[in-house]
Amino acid sequence: MDNLMKRITRDVDLSFAILLSFCVYVFFAMNIEVFFSHNISFAILERFAVLGLVGLALTICIIAGEIDLSIGSNAALCAVIVVKLTDPLGAPFAMLIGLSVSTLIGATQGFVIAFIRIRAIVITVGTLMLLRGVALLIAEEKTVMLTDFRVPDFITTKVLMYFSPASLTVIFIFICVGIFMRYTKYGREIYAIGGARKEALTAGIPLRRPMIIAFALSGFCAGFAGTVIGLKSGTAQGLGLQYLLLAGTVAAFVGGVSILGGKGGVLGAAIGALTVNFLNTGLVFYALQVHFVQLFTSVLLVIVIVFQTMSRIFDSRQARKSLLETIDDRKTALLEKKRSVLGK
Amino acid sequence: MSTAIQENQQPFSAKFLQFYKDRTLLAILLSLFAVMFVYGIFFTDNYLTLTNFKAIIRDAALYGIMAIGLTFVTLSGNFFLLSLKETASICGVTFAMGMATGFGSPDLAGNFMVSLLAALSVGVVSGVIQGYFVGMGGNPIVVTLGGAGILYGIGAWWSDNLVINFTRPHDAEWLGTGSFLGLPSITWSFILIAIAGEIVLRHTNFGRKVYLVGANKAAGKATGHENFSMAIIVFTICSVCCAFVAVAFVAQMDSAQSNYFSAEFGSSGDMTILVIATVMVGGNSIMGGYGSTLRTSLGAIFIAMVDNMMVLQGFNSGPRIVGVGLMIVFSIIVFGLFAKGSRAQE
Repeated sequence: MDNLMKRITRDVDLSFAILLSFCVYVFFAMNIEVFFSHNISFAILERFAVLGLVGLALTICIIAGEIDLSIGSNAALCAVIVVKLTDPLGAPFAMLIGLSVSTLIGATQGFVIAFIRIRAIVITVGTLMLLRGVALLIAEEKTVMLTDFRVPDFITTKVLMYFSPASLTVIFIFICVGIFMRYTKYGREIYAIGGARKEALTAGIPLRRPMIIAFALSGFCAGFAGTVIGLKSGTAQGLGLQYLLLAGTVAAFVGGVSILGGKGGVLGAAIGALTVNFLNTGLVFYALQVHFVQLFTSVLLVIVIVFQTMSRIFDSRQARKSLLETIDDRKTALLEKKRSVLGK
Repeated sequence: MSTAIQENQQPFSAKFLQFYKDRTLLAILLSLFAVMFVYGIFFTDNYLTLTNFKAIIRDAALYGIMAIGLTFVTLSGNFFLLSLKETASICGVTFAMGMATGFGSPDLAGNFMVSLLAALSVGVVSGVIQGYFVGMGGNPIVVTLGGAGILYGIGAWWSDNLVINFTRPHDAEWLGTGSFLGLPSITWSFILIAIAGEIVLRHTNFGRKVYLVGANKAAGKATGHENFSMAIIVFTICSVCCAFVAVAFVAQMDSAQSNYFSAEFGSSGDMTILVIATVMVGGNSIMGGYGSTLRTSLGAIFIAMVDNMMVLQGFNSGPRIVGVGLMIVFSIIVFGLFAKGSRAQE
């Protein structure tokens, strides 16, 4: 019991994420009969393939203490490239090209951020627009379509009851990134520059390497999300993947990252993405319009932000209180000592 | 003290150089202006006409007014709002509701003042709430991203995602399509708001506080100017500017819908990003404390000018978006390189 309490209080945000996702799932499972079934679980995992990746991309950036706004445009660009090249070159080669373009864009952003020492939101607003324009240019402002639908059929086939090739790949990426972030030197560097940048730099950690790695990873994840969307539906547009930013941010924040950086992890990102998926899938059954989905997702985001801010304020108050108590204790001890000395 | 003495001893040319050094970004912007202008005169048909210039300033006015509001937020060090177009859309829906139905009471239908006040107060409320969260210590980007979804959701819910029409003649025509001394009302509003913003920022107590809090949050806090009240005030100013633009736009179109400002607004895809681009291209520091509304207005006119030229040369929306995107990235990198090592970059 004691051990459990310790686990909960050690990472309050993650515990809150698990609680929140549990609540959302139970709410829909109670209200909708078919929600707790194999097919719905498959559908949720299918959505997870897209949203989880976007959430992961934002999580990595936010752990590094920055936020990448260009994720939607990056995903759209990659989707357009992959869908356009799949017919002439075949899916694997098209994916290779699309993903390397996305990763390269991410790495370039990371380099610029570390080189000029500018905040990421500043440069990524610019690239948001730039990449959107480039995607429109490549797609020639039309909807790009596949002619051969064997690839979409393949990546949505059911494997092992709950999975499809797409979601299996995404889960594999999650495990790889998780191991990378947790157990390698490069992953720990990303945490270090996010949590305490000045201290990390003073301790001799370079700024450029972790920043480039973090943004390259996030670009790769965003690109892969775009690829999955594009290949699954067989179509891609230059505009239109902008909703990924909101959904990904919600997933990342529900998963317990802190905007101050250095906190959170891949497990949290997965839980956050699942929570958003539960919400989206559940709302489908109420036959609501799109703007309601957006409304409820935003409400979820606001709930999480309020919780995080409150817990931060509570923590700092608690720290201040304990500091004041320590000072008081020392003061009384000193006064007593003085009194005893004077008394003699 | 020592710098003041030094400045007095410098010859005039050195002073001029110093001035140029201080205002490098403004100088770069102005020279780009000149280059674009000359290019436009020689290589684009129908460019050097009065009608075209009126069209440019009119285009610039719509997002220029929003950008002037956003400049206050940026100068105070609160980055920017991602909920600009959503604020505008909900205010537009409110205004159109007032003009069309009078919020349920037929007596008030078509009453300009009531509708305007309703739209502006919706703007004030959304600004105050978002500013409150930011002032409490929330990150402006995340808070306004959430706020954007909620505002859009409420606006679409309220209007059932339908187009709300009201018929001409109505009381708001003078604002939407009317003109005064040959210039449209919206252009006059742009000019007046730009001048007012400049006066407020330069010559009032509040304006100087905005710069102080933006330049150095810790110093602001130590001298009693906390970011809490500042965030609320600047977010309110920005949201009211959005509301005003929404009212003018709706009055021009005689109708409103919750996604009027989304997707393909103007040329550059997205109103919010276009407004943020305007603030950045003008050369304001996103970290706060450096910039002015004059720069923002120049940035708006510059973007409108380049966009207009590309339209006249027959470009599609793809290259135009690339053009604006390149402008933003260029201005950010130039600004970043100039500010490297100074206190403007934290």
